[in-house]
Amino acid sequence: MKRFKHYDACTLDEAVSLLKEFDGKANIIAGGTDIVGLFKDNVFAESPEALINIKTIPGLDYVQEEEDMLKIGPLALLEDLAHNKLLKSNYTALAEAARRTASPHIREMGTIGGNICQFSRCWYYRLPNNRFNCIRKGGKDCFAEEGENRYHSIFGNVKDCLAVHPSDTAPALIALEAKVKTTKRVIEMADFYQTEDAKKFSILDSDEILIEIQIPRPSESTKSKFEKFAIRKSIDFPIVNCASKVEFEGDKVKKANICLNAVFVTPYVPKKAEEYLEGKALELDTVETAAQLALQDAKPLSKNEYKIEIAKSLIKKTLLACK
Amino acid sequence: MNKKLGIMEIEPLVRDRYIQEEFSIIGKRGIARMCGKEKASGRAEYTRDVKLPGMLYCRILSSPYAHARIKSINTEKAEALPGVRAVLRYDDPELQGKELFGLETKFNAGHLATDGQAFYHGKEELAVTLEQWKQGAGRILDGVAWWEGHPVGAAVAADTPELAEEALTLIEVEWEELPLVLNPLDALKPGAPLAAPEINSKNNIIRKLKIEHGDVEKGFKEADKVIKFDARRRPYTVAEAEPISDVILWRGDNVEIWAHQQQAYDGKMLFALKMGLPLNKIKLHVPYQGSQFGGGGNPMMHHTHGVHMISGILSKRLGRPIKTFYDRRDTFYNLSQDADCHTSFKVGFNNDGTITAVKIDNICAKMGQYGIDHFEENTRIPNLALNYLEAQINVAPAYWFRCEQNHNALCLSLVFEHVAAELGMDPTIVALKNDGVEGKDMEYLSKFKKEHGFPDRDSLRECIELGKKAIDWDNKWHKPGTKVLPNGKLHGIGFTWTHEWDDTRGVACAGVLMHCDGTVDILSQKSDDGLNAMTTHCQIVAEEMGLKLEDVNFRMFEEVGFQMMTPDGSCNLAVDAYVTRNAARKAKQKLLEYATTPIKLIDIEYPPAFPNNYPDDLDVKDSIVFLKSDPSKNVPVAEVVKRATLNQGGTRAPLFTWSWHRQGRYGTEKGRHRMCRQAYFAEVEVDPGTGGVEVKKIVNVNDVGKAISPETCEGQQYGGDYMGTGRALAEEVIYDPKTGVRLNANLLDYKVWTMRDIDTTVNLLVETGMGYGAYGLNGIGECIATVVPGVIGAAIYNAIGEWVDDHPMTPDKVLKAISKAKAKRGGLR
Repeated sequence: MKRFKHYDACTLDEAVSLLKEFDGKANIIAGGTDIVGLFKDNVFAESPEALINIKTIPGLDYVQEEEDMLKIGPLALLEDLAHNKLLKSNYTALAEAARRTASPHIREMGTIGGNICQFSRCWYYRLPNNRFNCIRKGGKDCFAEEGENRYHSIFGNVKDCLAVHPSDTAPALIALEAKVKTTKRVIEMADFYQTEDAKKFSILDSDEILIEIQIPRPSESTKSKFEKFAIRKSIDFPIVNCASKVEFEGDKVKKANICLNAVFVTPYVPKKAEEYLEGKALELDTVETAAQLALQDAKPLSKNEYKIEIAKSLIKKTLLACK
Repeated sequence: MNKKLGIMEIEPLVRDRYIQEEFSIIGKRGIARMCGKEKASGRAEYTRDVKLPGMLYCRILSSPYAHARIKSINTEKAEALPGVRAVLRYDDPELQGKELFGLETKFNAGHLATDGQAFYHGKEELAVTLEQWKQGAGRILDGVAWWEGHPVGAAVAADTPELAEEALTLIEVEWEELPLVLNPLDALKPGAPLAAPEINSKNNIIRKLKIEHGDVEKGFKEADKVIKFDARRRPYTVAEAEPISDVILWRGDNVEIWAHQQQAYDGKMLFALKMGLPLNKIKLHVPYQGSQFGGGGNPMMHHTHGVHMISGILSKRLGRPIKTFYDRRDTFYNLSQDADCHTSFKVGFNNDGTITAVKIDNICAKMGQYGIDHFEENTRIPNLALNYLEAQINVAPAYWFRCEQNHNALCLSLVFEHVAAELGMDPTIVALKNDGVEGKDMEYLSKFKKEHGFPDRDSLRECIELGKKAIDWDNKWHKPGTKVLPNGKLHGIGFTWTHEWDDTRGVACAGVLMHCDGTVDILSQKSDDGLNAMTTHCQIVAEEMGLKLEDVNFRMFEEVGFQMMTPDGSCNLAVDAYVTRNAARKAKQKLLEYATTPIKLIDIEYPPAFPNNYPDDLDVKDSIVFLKSDPSKNVPVAEVVKRATLNQGGTRAPLFTWSWHRQGRYGTEKGRHRMCRQAYFAEVEVDPGTGGVEVKKIVNVNDVGKAISPETCEGQQYGGDYMGTGRALAEEVIYDPKTGVRLNANLLDYKVWTMRDIDTTVNLLVETGMGYGAYGLNGIGECIATVVPGVIGAAIYNAIGEWVDDHPMTPDKVLKAISKAKAKRGGLR
């Protein structure tokens, strides 16, 4: 592991000013379950010079419902979210996504903020000592394209990168139509992931910190559900996961939100499927068609066609569970 | 004088003919593991934990390429880093001749069949000469890398692990990348790149083997039906908990080694050989082993011999203790013995389930397994044929770990499962129809048992009956692909069987030493490999001597002049139990002699504890010696030995015995029939949407002959279930197809099954007393992990109605089988 500086920030202002001082060469650390691994394995060609710890900033781990909105501090632990009664009843998809993230030990350390800001899990990207200097690290190639791509994107690349986004909570937040508040702005969670700069995974600028997640309170006729398929039950990033939220009007769908993850470079919202469902009853053949539509544009790689079936299955499961 | 030369006979069929019926400590449940507190509290010391004053930390450079040659190397910057004490380069003169050649590798019988140690009696042909044969792992800091991660070029010793690591990054290497080949089938194609031209400059063939029993062509002609199918087992690895390390301290003319090895004493012998040291100048310490499953066993690999050589040379040079250590990724360099196996089967059988002929064509990556052994050892099938071809490829070397019978067990499972499926027969019936030994039937085996004093029990039948009840087989077994559960998942149930791979051969010795307070030390060194040897041997000694269990202790870490069998953590009790038992019996006899023999010192005679009795009049229970005819007359053991030393023995142990035992030879031996069987049942649910397989229940039934410690046996069963299920469903070392770089050499991407990943395991023991070990024990632990992939495969077939004969059976392959079933039958109901 290369040496780095470590700062315990006391306030958000201090953290931001440290980020500015290092001008792109510092990273925020909270639970550390993701970034410490990156450091230990010397994943980057040039490791960041400093880590700025925000766990020392008080009051950023809240979960509270205010008016028509649930507010979650970025330092709320995944384990706490998984067992939060309010989340389990009204924001089910998020509680379930938090519960299915990583392992019990990691959930006790890992935060919701970290989970949505995490780096890629692509094995070429993560290989120690920057063995594969891929596009995401300033190189020219994506090694998965002709390599081992069993876990990679089934919806094509972005800037030639085929690595999928690995978060479990991100699709739940997107399906729940969450917003993200940062030190600079408030934006839709669905717009939080960007594709312009290959070296970045979210829209956050190098001096910007995520400070709150805001989820509109679902109506009483709304249900949400999350499903994850991974190799093991105990730990593992998703092969595919899916969150669906359905608002009903009588027995018909008023509005459906679906978000898949681990199928594309960013979380993937199948718009056609969402639109198709509006005004329909959630019957077997309806969800079957929705799943078909959702995967219509899939273009699998040499070794990941199977993910299409899994994605369809999870869409169907989550939708039917909302009935 | 005309002396006739004698022959030292080894009795391969040695066994306990008179097993007592009742024990007070052996076989009892609820006995706490003696190493439990240390391990559970984190106080147990592993090699990785060893810290000596002035110790330096050594890291080895590894190749970033799967096949490359070092053109030049510059270590100046690394040498200049403050805190770096030495850099050992591959061109260092002291490294010359330290690698292992030819017969020096004889400890690894899987590699060579030329020295009489090899385990096969078939006709074997090495495609390279003995002199050419130089296993990659036997080389030390070479200038050529045969796989990505190959330790090559240089090693650095520094004040801290971090500095050693940093120094590695300062070494400048100019590499010449060479063409590579990653798959044994590709390696055998004409014009394939040569994976290791230093061994074989003509092609990539390492070994060829042909075995034939009977006449398979005749067997196929006589069969009612003949089937053909292919299977593959992809490479998997140990993923052991404790990464590899050693510590060596060269002090004057003497050396101390702290080894993380299963065969640590053999490792010491190789070290002595290569360093030109006599064995008595080397003292070996073998701390606790962090679950290496035999992976650290082979003393000729780089992680054993290579690491010892590097630590040894540097310690001699610097006069300081050296700890050479691998990191987690380095530790992933090794593979299971059946690294990558492609197998084609042809099987003939009759409509009643009798198998008439089996032909196996097997192409394996280096150091594979033949695949036919269990048919020979377990069945009455008269016609067997094997064509085996072993290919060199540019992936990490393979060697044994839990266990080298993986491929043999899988081949047996696959053949029996396919035959039962073709006939639509209950697979337990097909197993019983063909159970036998070396082509002979159960009638023959029954005669053999009687002639040799074994109990005549039908082990497989007993195991099957118990297992069927435990899994409710008669109600749950159904035709393949016919049961959909209310949750929409496909229900499957499977069965397979085999025997405990009977590696019950070997040599061991141990001493029993009683202190003057009546407590006992077992004296022997063994590696903490397998489960709970410490407690088990104490149980044996306490039982045999009539002592309380707490009066016996076994600390097996230090070199005390005696060595137990530690090549096979799981079977070694079959040999080792004889030496503790025999030494304990002798010790008890001596104790009773002390209790009845007066001591005459010049003109004074000191009476013993029982002055008017003979040893036969006495017995010992709960550490008290008593008169059999009147137990009210008794004396504590401590008092007996104290008297024997005339109450002056405070600093001396008054009673010592020892025992040596040898039995059998390595591996398969004709005529030394295997009699203990095992039956496995598994129940799965397959999600037709995702291809996910949930293992709901595994039932193991193992005939262990005699369970000295039932909970230890069950521990092997639990562990084997998890390991076997991981291998069945997920474990696979994944390489980048272009570069041969390992992509998942960490404990997240390499998927080892955990306790949250199986619903229920039911572990049952059968004790027929038909093992070759002391008390009729047979051992446990080699199989289970080895056999479980086969039974899960059978259950998946039963769920879907199509085979997934490509292990691990990952969701992509399961989904393909499901869509094949749908296409054939138009649905799954």
